[in-house]
Amino acid sequence: MTYRTMLIKNAFRNRFRSILTITGIGVAILAFVFLRTVVDVWNSGLTAAAEDRLVTRHKVSITMLLPRTYYDRMGNQPNVSSIGYANWFGATYPKDEHSFFANFAVDDDNYLNVYPEIVVPPDQLAAWKADPAGAIVGQTLAAKYGWKLGDKVTLTGTIYPGDWTFNVCAFYTTTNRAIDKSSFLFHWKYLNDGPISDRMREQVGWLVIRVKDPSQGSAVAGAIDSMFESSEAQTLTESERAFNLSFISMYAAIFTAMDVVSVVILLIMTMIVGNTIAMGVRERTHEYGVLRAIGFTPRHLMVLIFGESLFITAIGGALGLLIALPIVNGFGKFIEDNLGSFFPYFAISSGTVALAAVLALVVGLASAVLPAWTAARLQVTMALRRLG
Amino acid sequence: MTLNGVSTSAAVAKQDAAAKPIVTLRGLKKSYYRGLIELPVLDGIDLDIPSGAFEALMGPSGSGKTTLLNLIAGLDRPTAGTIQVNGVNLSSMSEGALADWRARTIGFVFQSYNLIPVLTAAGNVELPLLLTKLSASNRKDRVKTALRIVGLEERMGHLPRELSGGQEQRVAIARAIVSDPTIVVADEPTGDLDRKSADEILDLLVKLNREFGKTILMVTHDPAAADRASVRRHLDKGRLLNS
Repeated sequence: MTYRTMLIKNAFRNRFRSILTITGIGVAILAFVFLRTVVDVWNSGLTAAAEDRLVTRHKVSITMLLPRTYYDRMGNQPNVSSIGYANWFGATYPKDEHSFFANFAVDDDNYLNVYPEIVVPPDQLAAWKADPAGAIVGQTLAAKYGWKLGDKVTLTGTIYPGDWTFNVCAFYTTTNRAIDKSSFLFHWKYLNDGPISDRMREQVGWLVIRVKDPSQGSAVAGAIDSMFESSEAQTLTESERAFNLSFISMYAAIFTAMDVVSVVILLIMTMIVGNTIAMGVRERTHEYGVLRAIGFTPRHLMVLIFGESLFITAIGGALGLLIALPIVNGFGKFIEDNLGSFFPYFAISSGTVALAAVLALVVGLASAVLPAWTAARLQVTMALRRLG
Repeated sequence: MTLNGVSTSAAVAKQDAAAKPIVTLRGLKKSYYRGLIELPVLDGIDLDIPSGAFEALMGPSGSGKTTLLNLIAGLDRPTAGTIQVNGVNLSSMSEGALADWRARTIGFVFQSYNLIPVLTAAGNVELPLLLTKLSASNRKDRVKTALRIVGLEERMGHLPRELSGGQEQRVAIARAIVSDPTIVVADEPTGDLDRKSADEILDLLVKLNREFGKTILMVTHDPAAADRASVRRHLDKGRLLNS
């Protein structure tokens, strides 16, 4: 027999209580992993940002447009390798008008050059370029609606009212899983030549710039903004990371709330384990008195109590991770199919698994502090007087 | 017959050295406090217990028997006076040193056996050996020997709930002697047993005293149990009445 044998036997002395506690820890770990995954994936927009990309938008708001002529003037800047532009189209699909997917009007020549992560088969790209009403559709979106090459798709405009019909010419996939695979891209010229108000004609929503040397990014951004400083439409140029962060931060309150809930889950878990260990220690006070009498020191009792707590949380944590992997990843497939614009992928990261495992052990230690301290302070004679 | 290397002849030799006290108490006082009120339990005990003795401590409830036993066993600290056991002054020892000393010197037998219910008889007997540096196989050998002495070698894999009260107490005695202590303290060891089982336990204690030379201090209410001891002492209101 060893101390390990003793603490394992102690952990399952009241099997029903231990099983309930382990299940509670497992469910708490599942909830924690799920929330952390939501927050991680939401923040993945930051990891998707390329170091060599800048985004230029109207200084006042992204909702305000910039003259397309800026595109030509910005291209003359040294250190710029390519520029693309896009407009937020904001249309809905009438057959599923409650679902959301991103749809943009993009320039034919360069938009895909500034996003090398977006991969379109060359023959499909050529077909798209040749068709003024052509559209490139993300793989996930196409799969969701069962669209095939050559299909006609009609979207209902909200910013640009009316029904807009497109020909599905190409599908894209991505080399970076954090990039949305459910967007709908079409020719900017198709929008510009379409039935839109004159004040929206020859306007772009934002421009994306690739710089030759990422270390010169802020200098290029400064040069671009100063170029339009005295224009009516002043610009704000920032790194793609900062641009993405401005979107992410709009929902900061929600994700802060999720972080708070994660901490609350850990606290609840600590209390569940702490209660189980405390009950066990209270019930075994007499036995601890016997152990102390035969020569066990307070340190020995603490080792047994901390060990028992760690053992229970380790099993509960392992169980939680074991059930979290199939459940969260399975649910992730549903989210990727239906909320791909917000969550291009939804899977547990190894970092989250490691964090959950470490926190489970920290909870195990924290839960045992008070019971172990109580047991260590027991007077032997008082403990022996307690009923066994 | 040997118990962890102590032969019967060695035990006899130990008994021959009985003139030398193994326990020496001088001016021993113990009081408990309820708020500011002092409740004296032991009131100036002077006592010498020779090595290899089998002494019974009797007295009415509340007379201080268990308190005296706890003090001699190093489980409690006196309010005043000195306790010297086996040449060691317990008053000057730290908690850790006292625990270590108890593990080496004292074997405990309790009224209600106090076995750990989730451990087998062998597991319970092995507990004190976890505090030593003995290898697993050495521990196993010692456990077997201790259980053989109490006649329960065949029951080593049984849990306490699978044993009778008498058998449980024999396992507790095996646990008390497995680390070869100098003194065995027994607090009402037959209090929860029927006459037959009580006699078996007392036979065992006598055997430990006579064959293995263990000094045994036993608290009891039972005159029949006290009769098995070589010396009977009476406590009343915290004072020793006679020897």
